[in-house]
Amino acid sequence: MLALDTDVISVCTPPSSHADLTVRALEAAQHVLCEKPVALTLADTQRIGRAAEAAADRVVMIGHVSRYEPDHRSAKELVDAGQIGEVAMMAHSMTTSLPGWSEGGWLARPEESGGPLLDLSVHSFDYLAWVTGSPAVRIHAVAADSPAGPATYGLATVRYANGAMGQVEASWAHPAARGFKAMVEIIGKEGRISWDYDAINGGAIYLADGNVTWLDPLGERGYEQEIAAFTDAVRSGGPSPIPVCDGIAATRTALAALHSVRTGEPVDLTTWEVP
Amino acid sequence: MSPPVNTAIVGCAHRPHAWSYARALSSSASARLVAVFDEDPALGHSVADDFSAPFTDDLDALLESGDLDAVVVCSPTTQHRRHAEAAAGAGCHVLSEKPLATTLDDGRAMIDACRRSGVQLHVAFVSRFLPHIRSVKEAFDSGSLGDVIGLRAGNRGRPPFPPQYPGWITQPEESGGGALIDHSVHLTDLVRHLTGREVTSVAAETGVLLWDAPVEDCALLSLVLDNGAVAGLDPSWSVPARNPWDYDFFLRLVGTAGSVDLDDLAESVRLVSGRAADGLRLASFAEDPDTAMIESFCTSVREGQPAEPCASGEDGLRALEVALAGYASASDGARFVPAGSGVW
Repeated sequence: MLALDTDVISVCTPPSSHADLTVRALEAAQHVLCEKPVALTLADTQRIGRAAEAAADRVVMIGHVSRYEPDHRSAKELVDAGQIGEVAMMAHSMTTSLPGWSEGGWLARPEESGGPLLDLSVHSFDYLAWVTGSPAVRIHAVAADSPAGPATYGLATVRYANGAMGQVEASWAHPAARGFKAMVEIIGKEGRISWDYDAINGGAIYLADGNVTWLDPLGERGYEQEIAAFTDAVRSGGPSPIPVCDGIAATRTALAALHSVRTGEPVDLTTWEVP
Repeated sequence: MSPPVNTAIVGCAHRPHAWSYARALSSSASARLVAVFDEDPALGHSVADDFSAPFTDDLDALLESGDLDAVVVCSPTTQHRRHAEAAAGAGCHVLSEKPLATTLDDGRAMIDACRRSGVQLHVAFVSRFLPHIRSVKEAFDSGSLGDVIGLRAGNRGRPPFPPQYPGWITQPEESGGGALIDHSVHLTDLVRHLTGREVTSVAAETGVLLWDAPVEDCALLSLVLDNGAVAGLDPSWSVPARNPWDYDFFLRLVGTAGSVDLDDLAESVRLVSGRAADGLRLASFAEDPDTAMIESFCTSVREGQPAEPCASGEDGLRALEVALAGYASASDGARFVPAGSGVW
């Protein structure tokens, strides 16, 4: 494929192969849009980090699409505009049934996906650190098994360097009929931002034959904006809209959450060395 | 029709609660509000006078009068033990405001005193009486939700500062702490009440992040239950000025056979009044659970045994254990702390 006349590669494989593919793409002088999580191990994230550093004229972007979802982006802009003062408390929740879309079902295998505390929560960890503008310094997490698999319901509580804290909920354990629900709260010293997918449902078209079309205000806007930001960066020669270091930070936070679940201990992210 | 339960309010330190209970007692056919006691006449009158109830600052005389069947203790949390022991000694059933106490020793002493005197000890876990919580409880009891897997619940509110609240509630030597002990006990109790599971381990982060309070205004707890299920609790005083609501209660839970999404703010209409400075308000049309709790307390007293879904002293103690374990965790780098050991 690298022999084809391409400028960019989008790495959308399961995370265990992100490092090999991204490193090879960069060696072939491609710009890379790498899906989240960056990798399944910190060693792999660091391989991508080193390759991206070595290819300084290439754009490597990590696909944290939440930053481009219109709801999430709007909240970030309100925070940056000072509307709620200094951010202090956050909650980010994404709950759904076991996703059925993964090719060959790799998402359901924890050794390939990391489960919802990695696959889903990495969005939350990236978004909350971005919103509060401060790195995560401590995390503890708990998880429970469900009929969907081991550790398919998880909660992680994060402390940030600026003192803010947040709780992240991630579930694949919910009934399929409930759909995908997100709920976000950002509380600052002077205000509060919150939204959830139930409340931003734009309505529906009900037909007499029973057909229902939901008027989803989000649609594909997040992905479109994400890819537009990537291609703009490629055309203008960078910088990366979401650099590898941000992706590594979010993935490391998620891996620490999994470590906390396994050990029953909080993780000090300022010193944590991956076992 | 059996005679009404003669009840006194003992302490008005939890003033909004004391006022609401006094209203429920004075409007109930099952109860008679005999008196309102507080050591501070101004505070006591501010509750008693609204319901034309006698005020007294002499608790001994009130208890010795022989007129009382029961008391509702709304004094500062560290005073609950003294007042409950006095009431139990006079043969009065006790409904204690939450949290039960600030120490496990005090909580156990209250339970023992009431047991020795043969009177009931209830704790004001009023959320049990919310109609939607009753429905969720029925769903759990019928087995239709299966066993709990995980949940997140929140009870957020405005900071309880003067003038709406007496100053003691943010003085840790009188209240035991801030938002964590104040609100988490409601949430912990609901987790136990609904799921039938006990908490085995607790980790928590706390902080004075929003207000200049002498106690934590924000807290996030992680609970592990005895079946391996997990719970995340947000009991923070994190409601900002001019927010359209003052307090919320939400519960999102998943079990092995179903899930629950519950938000009490849904029971409201949206109000914008040109007469108010606040802009949008959520005007609640929810039923007042205090009335239902007072009715059930009176029923329990009349029938000689606690009625469902009343919370017992043991329930109060379990919730206090979790809160105290949360404080131990928060002061030790969010380490996981056993909930029931009492050793930390």
